[in-house]
Amino acid sequence: MIKVDPGKCLGCLSCSNVCPNQNIVLLQSADTRTVHWKKCKEECDLCVEFCPAKALALVAYDELVPESEISFELVACRVCGSRYATLPMLMKVEASLPAGMQEDASGLEWIRICSQCRRDIEAEKAAGQVMKERKRISP
Amino acid sequence: MPVYVDISRCIGCRSCEVACDRVHGGKGHVNVHFVGSLASVPVFCHHCEDACCTMVCSTGALHKEGDKTAFDVDKCTGCGLCQLACPFGVVRTDKIAHKCDLCSGQEMPTCVMTCPANALSLDFDLASRRARNRAAMLITRGGRA
Repeated sequence: MIKVDPGKCLGCLSCSNVCPNQNIVLLQSADTRTVHWKKCKEECDLCVEFCPAKALALVAYDELVPESEISFELVACRVCGSRYATLPMLMKVEASLPAGMQEDASGLEWIRICSQCRRDIEAEKAAGQVMKERKRISP
Repeated sequence: MPVYVDISRCIGCRSCEVACDRVHGGKGHVNVHFVGSLASVPVFCHHCEDACCTMVCSTGALHKEGDKTAFDVDKCTGCGLCQLACPFGVVRTDKIAHKCDLCSGQEMPTCVMTCPANALSLDFDLASRRARNRAAMLITRGGRA
């Protein structure tokens, strides 16, 4: 069975995706993500191999150990407020990228903004020059 | 080498979005965004030189291949870190990651071939060349650029 280190788990989608037996169940609501590891008797360690945080380990089956479950409150986007990621995942991204890349030219911490809003910001920037001309023509 | 957009030509018809969806089994990666009522911008993968998505990928599924940010679907675990690491919000995770592959195997990406307004191209200089040409045309006719 699989032992989880709650201090290391990012709450990502890797283990639940790679498990061939659906023994790792992901429950997601609007503001919470819960990962539930069923007590499997398999000797398979795909989830252990692919865990990006090395938070899982294959241990001997033990009847007395309860099933593991970790809940993560999802972090709200700083622009629109929609909840889009777990905090450990965002911290992992922040730890993986050079500090100079984590702020855009306007000082915006884009990692704490959801994908939809990042695209909106990109579109607004890209349209800047065209918008100026068009506003001049049709104010 | 990404797909470049000449925003002054984009008519917001979303043909690129539909074309991308069609080629990638309903899971396309082009999003046309509207800026007020005056402009539309299709947001594409930039195939960044220092690509953040490749820096967070723990299996090497996302990697650089020359000037392209390539994706090896067999290595992807669908963890979702790349989606959070993309500064432009153009990588999506739905069991596995979905991102622009410039329609690998084709000479020209389908979005570029489809755009009815000729707003898309693989040529970085095309938009500025067109602007220079328009200015030159005006001047030859006695107008002001």
